[in-house]
Formats: sequence, C-alpha cells, structure tokens
Amino acid sequence: MVVKITQIILSPILALVVGVFFLGLARKIMARIHWRYGPPLIQPVIDMIRLFYQKSVSHGSMFDLGLILSLAGSIVVVLFLPFGGIAPLSGSGGLLVILYIMLLAPLGMALSGGQGANPNISIGISRKLILGLGYEVPLLLVLLAVMTRYKTISIMEVVIAQQSTGWSFISFPLFLSGLSYFLILPAILGLRPFDVSSAPQEISSGPMAEYGGKYLALATIEHAFVLFISIALFVNLFLGGAANPAIFFVKMLVVFVLGLCINAVFPRFRIEQAVKYLWKWPTLLAFLGLIITLAVRS
Amino acid sequence: MDRNQITKWLKAPAKMANKYSLHAIYFCTGCGIIEVPPVITARWDAERFGVIPVATPRQANLFLITGYVSIKTLRAIIRTYEQMPEPKYTVGFGSCPINGGMYWDSYNTIKHLDKYIPIDGWIAGCMPRPEAIFIAVTHLWTLIDKEMANGYIRYRENYKSYRRNQELALGKLEWPPLYPVSDESRGNKQ
Amino acid sequence: MSLEILLIIAFGGAPLTYLFGKTSEKIRDFLAVVISLSLVAFVACLYGKSMEKTFYLGFFGLGLVLRLNVLSWFFAITISVVGTLSIIFSLSYIKGREKTDFYFLMMLLVNAAMLGIVLAGDLVSFYIFWEIMSWSAFLLISYNKGPALAAGMKYIVMSIIGSVCFLVGMLSLYVSFDTLNISQIASVIGSASSGYILFILTAFGIAFGIKNAVLPFHTWLPDAHSEAPAPFSAVLSGTLIKMGTYGFLLLLYVIVGLKLFLGLGRGLLSFHSILCFLGAVTILIPTFIAMLQTDAKRLLAWSTVGQAGYIILGIAFGTNLALAGGIFHFFNHAMFKALLFFAVGAVEFRTQTRDLDSLGGLAKKMPVVFIGTLVGICALIGVPLTSGFVSKWLIYKTLILEGSPFLAFFALAGTWGTILYSYKLIHNVFLGQLPEKYKDIQKSPFTMQLPMIVLSLAILVFGILPGIPLKVINAIGTSFGFESLNITLWGITSETGTLNTINIFSAVLVAAVLSWLLFRLGAKSVSVSQEDSYAAGAYTPTDKYHYTAEFYNPLYRMTKPFLRDVIDGFYYWIASSVRSLAGSVRRIYSGDVGYYVMYIILFLTVLIFVQMRWKIW
Repeated sequence: MVVKITQIILSPILALVVGVFFLGLARKIMARIHWRYGPPLIQPVIDMIRLFYQKSVSHGSMFDLGLILSLAGSIVVVLFLPFGGIAPLSGSGGLLVILYIMLLAPLGMALSGGQGANPNISIGISRKLILGLGYEVPLLLVLLAVMTRYKTISIMEVVIAQQSTGWSFISFPLFLSGLSYFLILPAILGLRPFDVSSAPQEISSGPMAEYGGKYLALATIEHAFVLFISIALFVNLFLGGAANPAIFFVKMLVVFVLGLCINAVFPRFRIEQAVKYLWKWPTLLAFLGLIITLAVRS
Repeated sequence: MDRNQITKWLKAPAKMANKYSLHAIYFCTGCGIIEVPPVITARWDAERFGVIPVATPRQANLFLITGYVSIKTLRAIIRTYEQMPEPKYTVGFGSCPINGGMYWDSYNTIKHLDKYIPIDGWIAGCMPRPEAIFIAVTHLWTLIDKEMANGYIRYRENYKSYRRNQELALGKLEWPPLYPVSDESRGNKQ
Repeated sequence: MSLEILLIIAFGGAPLTYLFGKTSEKIRDFLAVVISLSLVAFVACLYGKSMEKTFYLGFFGLGLVLRLNVLSWFFAITISVVGTLSIIFSLSYIKGREKTDFYFLMMLLVNAAMLGIVLAGDLVSFYIFWEIMSWSAFLLISYNKGPALAAGMKYIVMSIIGSVCFLVGMLSLYVSFDTLNISQIASVIGSASSGYILFILTAFGIAFGIKNAVLPFHTWLPDAHSEAPAPFSAVLSGTLIKMGTYGFLLLLYVIVGLKLFLGLGRGLLSFHSILCFLGAVTILIPTFIAMLQTDAKRLLAWSTVGQAGYIILGIAFGTNLALAGGIFHFFNHAMFKALLFFAVGAVEFRTQTRDLDSLGGLAKKMPVVFIGTLVGICALIGVPLTSGFVSKWLIYKTLILEGSPFLAFFALAGTWGTILYSYKLIHNVFLGQLPEKYKDIQKSPFTMQLPMIVLSLAILVFGILPGIPLKVINAIGTSFGFESLNITLWGITSETGTLNTINIFSAVLVAAVLSWLLFRLGAKSVSVSQEDSYAAGAYTPTDKYHYTAEFYNPLYRMTKPFLRDVIDGFYYWIASSVRSLAGSVRRIYSGDVGYYVMYIILFLTVLIFVQMRWKIW
C-alpha cells in the first residue's frame, strides 16, 4: 500500500522531470545541429519560473478551467503508464483508458482556447484536431495489432510478454506495426514536419496565442507531459519496456533524439499534406500488420 | 553572466528568471529589424542568453523598437506594448526612437518615443551592429539587477499623461484605457 | 397497477389536453406536464414486476396481449422521462406559434404510442402502436411549414416501406405458426428451417433498420431531425429511433434467440457479420459527414445516425458485454442527444438561427445552456466521468477481446470523429467572438433550463456510479440467457480487466486539484474583454474576428470527392423512375371514349382468341 502511494506520487514527478529535460534537450540538440551553442539544458525551467512571475490575462473562467482540465488529463495518463518498474494504476483497464484519457488533453486546450476569441487560436485548434484524426487512424490499427497479438489490453502484460519473446519492434508479425508507429511518432509529438498546429510564423502559435504568464507555463508543462506519454507508450509497446527506470530512460532518449534529427531537417507540411501522408503509407503498413497478426493468430 | 550562481537564484528567483529568459516579441518595427535575424541564427547565437523570438505579445517580455516609428506603426507599438504581461522591458534600438534620427523633420514620424511608451534603454546608431543587441541585453541585465528597469511601473503610474500624448499624436484611440484615467473607474479591470 | 390503466392515461390524456387547450392555455400546459409526470411515476412504480395480460380477445381470433418485463421497463422509463422533459421544454419553445394544441396532442400521442410499443406482447398490437407512432411523428415533423413538409414526406415514405416489410414478416409468421403472440412464437421458432429464419430476419430487419437508420436506410434522418421543432427532435433522436433498437432486441434475442441467430450462415457471409459490418460502417461514414455540416441540427442529426451505429454494433455482436454496452449506450444516447437538441433549441429560440457560420460567443450570455452543451459533448465523446464512457468502454472491450479488431477500429475511429464535430458545435455556437447583433439577447427561460440541468446531472451521476443502470441492464442480459456480469456500484469486475470508475474519478479529481494548485502558484491574472485579443497590433475588428465558416475546410477539400451522397441519390432515382413509369401508365387514360371502346374490343378479341386456342374455361 505504501509502495503504491509512493509510486503514485513519484510517477508524475518523474514524468515531469523527464519531460522538461526533453524540452531542454530539444533546444540544445537543435542548436548544435544548427552549428550554434544553444541555451543551457535547464532553460525551460528558467522560462517557467519567469512565466510564473508574470501577470497574465484571462478571457473567462472556461479559459482557466480548460487548461486545468487538460493538465489533469495528462497527469492521470501518466499514472496509467508503466515507467520502468513504476506502474501505479496499471490494472484498471489499461490501454483503453489511456486512449480515452489521452483525448482530455487536446479537448481541454481546445475549450480553453475557444474562449480566447481569436481566429488564430481557432485555426490552430481545428488544425490540431484534424491532425489528430490523421494520426489516430494508423495509431488505432497499430494498437489493435498489439492488443490482438498479446491478447490483452493491459500495458503491463505487454511489457512482461516482451521480456520473454523479445522486442515487438523486431518480432515477426509486429514489425510492420512498429515501423508504422515510428513513422507517425513525429505527428503525435508535434515535431516537424507535423507541427502545423502551433506554427509560430503562420498562425502566431495557434492555440497558445493568448496564453501568457502562468497559462503559458502550464501549457509548457502540458507539452512536457505529452512528450513523455507519447514516447513512453512507444517504448512500452514496441521496445520492450524496461525493468528499471534508468534503462527505460535510455530507450526514451534514443527515440527522442531520432525524432529530433527528423525535426531538424524537415520543413513543415501543410495540414492536408500531413493528413494525406498519414493516411497513406503508415496506414497501409499498419493495416498490413494487423492482417498479418490476425492471420498468424489463427 | 551569473546564471550559475545558485545562491543568487535562491535569494531572488524573480530577478534572475527575468534576466535569463527574455523572450522578444517578433515585431519588425522598422528598418532596424534587418539586424535581428543574424542575432537569432547561428552566427551570433542569442539563444545562449535565453533570448528567443516569440509570436505574440502575450508570451513576450522584451520589446525591441528597431528603427523609425511612423504614426501608423505607433498605433501598433502601443497596442502591442499594452498587450504584453508585466514585468516587461523595452529597448529603443537605433537613433530614430531617441530623437528622430535621420527623419528629424519628417511630418510622419515620431521624434521622441519616450513620450508615448516607456523605454528602459537606448542603443544609438544608424543601424547599430548585431553585437549591439547583446550590449542591450547585458545592459538590461544590469538594470534589472539594480531594479532600475521599471518602465512598466512608470507607465502604470503616469498612464494619464502617456495616454494624453498618445491621443494628441494619433487622434481618438479605439481601445479603452489600460488603467483608470479618472476618478470613475473606466477601462479594464485592474 | 396494471398496464391497461397506463395506456389509457397515456392515450386518453392526449385528446383531453387538446380539448382543454381550446379553452385555456395554462390548463393545457399544466395538464400536459401532469400527464407526463404521472406516466413517469407509474412506470417507476412498476419496477421489478413482470406480467403478461391479454386485454382483447377476438381480433380475428387472436388475442391482443400486453406484457411487461425488464427490457420493456427499461425502455418505458427512458421514453417517459425524455418525453416529460421535452414537454416541459416545449412550454416556452412553442409559445406564440400557431396550432399549439395540435402540437401538444401529437407529442403526447407519440409518447403514448411508444409506450404501447414497448408494452406490446404480440405483433398485432406492436404493429398498431408502431403505425400510430409513425403517423403522429410525420404530422409533427411537418409542423413548421416549408422544407419540413418535404422532410416529413421522405420520412413517412420510408417508414411506410418499413411497415410493409413488417407486415409481410408478420403475416408469414401467422401463416407458419398460427399465432402472433411473441412468447409463443419464441418457443416454436426453433422448428423452422434456417432459410425461413433468414427471411424473417431480413423482413423485420429492414423495417427496424429503416427506423433505426442503419446505413443504407438512413437518408430520411438528417432532413427529418433538422426540420422538426427542437423538443420533438429530442424525442425523435432520443427515443423514436430506439424503437428500431427495441425491435432488433425483440427480434434477435427474444423471438429468434441468440443460438439460432449466430448459427445462420457461415463465416463472413452470415446475417450476424453483415449486421455488425453495417453497424460499423454506420458509425464511421455519418461521423465524417457530420463534421462538415453548417447547420447545428443537421450536425446533431448525422451524429445520431453515427451513435445508432454503436448501438446496433453492440446488439448485433452477441456477447453479454456487447449487449450491455449497446443497451447502456441507447440509454446514454437518449439522455445526451436530448440534452444537445434542447441546447440548440434554446439557442434557436433566442437567436432565431441555427446556422453555425453566424453564431458565436454565446457562452457568457447563456451560461446554463453552455454548461449543458459541455456536459452533453463530453458524454457524446465518452470522456471518463460521464456515462458515455462506460457504455463505449464496454463495447470496445468486448470487440477487442473477442478478436474483431476491424470492428473495434471502426468504433474507435468514430470516437475521434465525434470529438471533431462536437468541438465544432460548441466552438461555433458558444466560444469565440460574440457577434454584434447578439449582444443583447437574454438568457433562456427557466422551463428550458430545467430539462437541461436534470439531464446533465443524470449524465454525471450515471457516469460516476454506473452500477445503477448497469444492474437493470444486467437483468435484461440474464433474461436473454447470458450469464450475469459482476456489477458493483462503481463498475464491472471480471477476469478480463475491471472497469473501476471510482479509480478514474478520484485520479482525475486529485490531478485537477493539483493542477489548480499549480495554477494558483502563478501571479494573478487580469480579466480582459474579448476585444482585447491579439490582432497583430490592431484593435480587434468586431464581427470580423471569428473563425467559423469552413471550420474543417482542409478536411472538406480532401474528402469531398469521396463523400457524394450515393445512397440518397439512389433513392431519388428510384422515386423518379417510379414516377416516370406511372407517368407512362397514365397515358392509357386519354379521356377519349373512342380509345376506351378500342381497348374493350381489343381485350375481348384477345380473350376469345385465347379461349378458342387453349380452351382455358
């Protein structure tokens, strides 16, 4: 019982630390790829401290509550994701609950931004939701293949199964699904070429256009959690999870750095180019993966 | 640069955070903006100091007025400045905001920007080199340390006279006053 | 406490209200509300009982039977509650229009007919009540003149086609088994051949499919639901469609029985898998079409088609979790769709428009309606803590664990589509910039707010404590012969993974409190008006700074070539072919007596020739 409570308290804190570290690491690695020095690794922390001291503006109670809802949703998803050995709530429904609570985050931000009365925000949100529809189709096919292969909806069982049969990413029926998931990972993380929903130059950072001060700080924390959740899900389902948090962190680091390298060299897709891409090759691969998994199962 | 000194962080985190996280609103005010892209790209990397451009004034706390200010631009500058959250800092970059510069007798430019919005620091030149932006940033750090970078406090306390100057230059303003200007409370909630 | 008294109150109350309406409006309103509330109380008192009673012998030698069991009770309580709330909502909505007595008469009649359907114990009374319901619904859909007349016509034609198929099935059952009593048919149907069962399933399936708007038969729904008056749209979407669901439940589980149903056909070509496939396609395609609508009620109507697909998928799939999910989704859908139609009706009442491209920013002007819409949308999407989550979770879980990932994919992809169109609804109506012309609208009247508050509370309560309705649904499942699920107050426990809403609820609550504390840590924020928004240095232009038109335009441009309405076009082609055929037949009647004489002489010639040659007579 005590162990569970410490895990419940520790899990979001660790997720936040890892997420913020990834934010700082992103800026540093992008800078180094651009042949410059870049900010120190704790720059996001400095930014957040400054943002908490700034007086922001609010457009109404929905503006505040939507953001709080979205952050709450992300924290709850973290509780359901195993991080190495730390898995507080992994018994109650598993993957389906994650799929569901994961949509609290964009919904909360959409409701909050809607009250901003700014068309940049509305355009950003409509693009975010359309992009979500884009990556959700291959993502669902991939997750269904995983669930069918291991005959479970609990992530912890998938991790344990992989410890005996090897990583899903290189195992026979699921390598197509793994490849497809890797191809859509930049879309889920919001990295280029899929960062169309928060395009600073086009729509003045989209849903975050009216966020200042503590709102922006909470949005940054939300972004950190989303980074953690997306990469942790991929590592758990396809790279075998890990028995302790350190190896898990190393695996997440490798995936994230690969994603950053893609981010550094690609320009930004338009929204219909992004959705067309997401519905073409990754969907085809995921569909084939699902069919092969079904065929192998019987 | 005292970013590594943990004791200073623990003593005055607001000051240190304001110093090392100056996000500049990416508003190309005048001709001087040509000096800014080299500053934020790989040649003179401003991100080392924590200075990056952001898209909207709501997310920013540094405003660089680079170059001359025409009457039309003055409207946008005042609006942008008022939408920034406090604490906020402005730097006048180039000779034109100081005293009119090259356009000292033009009918269409503003000669003394300090009458309309508060400026924390000036950099003279026509145009100053990109390194001057770094001089501006480090100078701003010194001012923040000594708590002399209080342009926004001056704006709040003398809002009546600032608004009167703005109305004299621009005619009737569409936006309501940011702080109450008379005894009845008009304008936004404080 | 008998069923006849219930039906007499229901059917008698309608003309009584009409007559009183001729004298005084207040008495009529009061009487309508009292009758509906008394029906709710009556049905609530019948909880847990089951009875079967023949109430009229001698209809061509058949007895007409009324029957109550758990399934009927569940549907009856939903029908009466949604009907009552609609009537309360109509008190303000319909005020000032013409023919309000007729409106109340029809509303009460529709509710009474639906109660009759679920309480019917044999197919003849089922058919009688079905027809009364269809006709009164037609009259009420055409209540607003104009495009509502064409919508009503489309509805009634398709409904009559369904009724004719029903009649064909019913008559063939009578010829085969000599009885029309549902329980008697259920006991003897095992002796029929599988081809005959397939025929019965198809005939009744078409009838119920048309009413439930399964994909090839759904084309009447968007027009009918968007043109009907808002409280009646709530009843239409919430309960009238579900009469088709009730019919499917009767057909598949009571009459035919699960074993026979699953044993029909082979592999992918069985009735079972075709029905599941139709349900799955009904989820996906209307959801995409709903995203691209610009009329608020049409969006909700297409959404109804999509959610009805979930119900059909759950019912047709055949496991006890799927059945529970399907029936619970029926209950949830009635609640939140009624809530959303009430909200859109309230907005239409105040602003006289339902065009999504021109509304906006009404959240501060109509806060109760906004919160009602918010709760309704969260339930529609299936956000945890609302009842929609539980029913959808049940359906997904069983689809995944029983090994049909493609059906699960359709269901899950439908959820994301639901998020898109629900957000469009709430953004274009309530969020964003308030147009100048709506600056002075008032809040909605209390009789409109009350049903929305009641439904929102019900959604939240049943989301946190789903055990309350799940107990009844479990009883329905066991009455069909499934094994019972372990229902606790907070969810379901079973070996294949539990659903524990208390875990999720407390987790979200604690996380929300934590986030709120983090939020308070920052410096206090200043509240600004909507005009003080980022506009690149300009002051925001009023009425021009709201992004509503073409909200999902990139998606629309991408999917437009694939979304032509072929089914509707097919039906219109059939209608125009029949009309041209009839037109050519009409030319026989030329009005000229000489032609008629020639027809008679020709016909006599042919008859004489045939007699002389083949000697038939």
